[in-house]
Amino acid sequence: MHRFAVDPSSTDISPVSFHPVLWICAAAVFAVIVLQSVIYLRAIRKAAGSANLTDGQVMGSVRRGGIAAIGPSLAVALVAVSLLPLFSTPAVLTRIGLVGSAAFDVAAAGLAAQSQGAQLGGPSYTQKVFAIGFAAMTLGGLVWMLTALILTPILSKGDKTLRKVNPAVMTVVPTAAILAAFITLALTETTKSGVHVLTLLASAAVMGLCIAAAKFLNKPWLREWGLGIAIFVALAAAFLVTAK
Amino acid sequence: MSSQTTSLDGLAQFDRTTSIWGPITLGLGFLVSLGAALFAAFGTGLGITGQEVWTAFGIVFATFGIIAVVEPISYYPILGRSAMYQAFMIGNIANKLLPSALIAQTDLGEKPGTRRAELIAGAAIIGAAFVHILTLIILVGFLGTWLLGLLPAGLIAVARVYILSAVFGAVTIQAIVSMKNVRTTIIAAAVSAVVVYGVLRLAPGLANYATAISVVGVIIVAWFARKRTDAPTAAEAPASVGH
Repeated sequence: MHRFAVDPSSTDISPVSFHPVLWICAAAVFAVIVLQSVIYLRAIRKAAGSANLTDGQVMGSVRRGGIAAIGPSLAVALVAVSLLPLFSTPAVLTRIGLVGSAAFDVAAAGLAAQSQGAQLGGPSYTQKVFAIGFAAMTLGGLVWMLTALILTPILSKGDKTLRKVNPAVMTVVPTAAILAAFITLALTETTKSGVHVLTLLASAAVMGLCIAAAKFLNKPWLREWGLGIAIFVALAAAFLVTAK
Repeated sequence: MSSQTTSLDGLAQFDRTTSIWGPITLGLGFLVSLGAALFAAFGTGLGITGQEVWTAFGIVFATFGIIAVVEPISYYPILGRSAMYQAFMIGNIANKLLPSALIAQTDLGEKPGTRRAELIAGAAIIGAAFVHILTLIILVGFLGTWLLGLLPAGLIAVARVYILSAVFGAVTIQAIVSMKNVRTTIIAAAVSAVVVYGVLRLAPGLANYATAISVVGVIIVAWFARKRTDAPTAAEAPASVGH
């Protein structure tokens, strides 16, 4: 097992990233989700009759929801496994796999590393950089939870008043913000090295092919799997180029 | 209509349960995550200062804060009150929870927006969460490290260094395609290029804020350059980025 030797400047992040407390937190997040699902399922089954649903239809919906989630879940798992070397199991399980997403969490960790003058994964990726990156991605994710907690009761009372303020704001602002964030992050990668450029282009090309193939061959699963496939092909390309 | 009284009772009970336990469970998830973040930063003896964490979080917030506020508002009309607490706890909304809910609703011939549809969606999300947790625990938790062990050792080292490029290449294409907005894409590409290749060359000290500067810049330019003839299409939720 890992020695829990803490050294801020060590590039072996495992003493911190596999810390028992982080494992416990990961397990606790799973437990809370299970608790919520149990409470909701009981409430739904009780209310079903009033909404003209049989118990069989409720359980059928649980089953259909589960079956529909198999493809996306496997696709998420593929991405999560590819991020294990960077963030280790507890962080990947709770953030990338569950409450967060690969796109946001990797971006957040990258931005946090940058604030330390470091890069994720390289020789400057120390225990300290990992810890700050993990804290930043988690705190960032908490903003979503907080806004959901605060806005849900308001929206349910105000009946969508917030949306009516200005519909253009609701379409222009998020589109602009998402595109700006990821295009800037992608361009920043191009300033690091030639191999970074190659990896970026390979990943973009494979994702583009997956999306196009999903559309023209009418295979929607290709779109879901695109991110995982693109990451693995791009990393394989980087490996082949650097192996010489 | 004879069962209207019971009807109201049953659904009122459901509303009561979910309006109490929805926030409680989401709040619990919030506290556990907060604990994990604070422990990683301050409990591990790495000597990280509050200032360092605030700086890192500030940059993340400057970049994604707006999206984190807009997303819950956009999803509310689709999810409804009770499912909001499920969705923002479980995550992966656009790619998994919404498709699962829609499939279950279609199978039972119900359109989103009714109380019946709300219960069906809640049940489907529970099924999706169950499958998701199971695949994660088995494939990532138990088998993840072993699966990685099957790959050549050098590949893991390479993966650590180039993973950001590998993720952002694909995610950027995905964002461009799902946003379907050529005008904003061009604006975003132009502004980002100016920031990364221009501003940062002249003022390397701004490196920490490059992404936030681009986000604000693109929002401003896109706002003034938007097609004003467009009918509002606010009904469509933006593709999920954070959850």
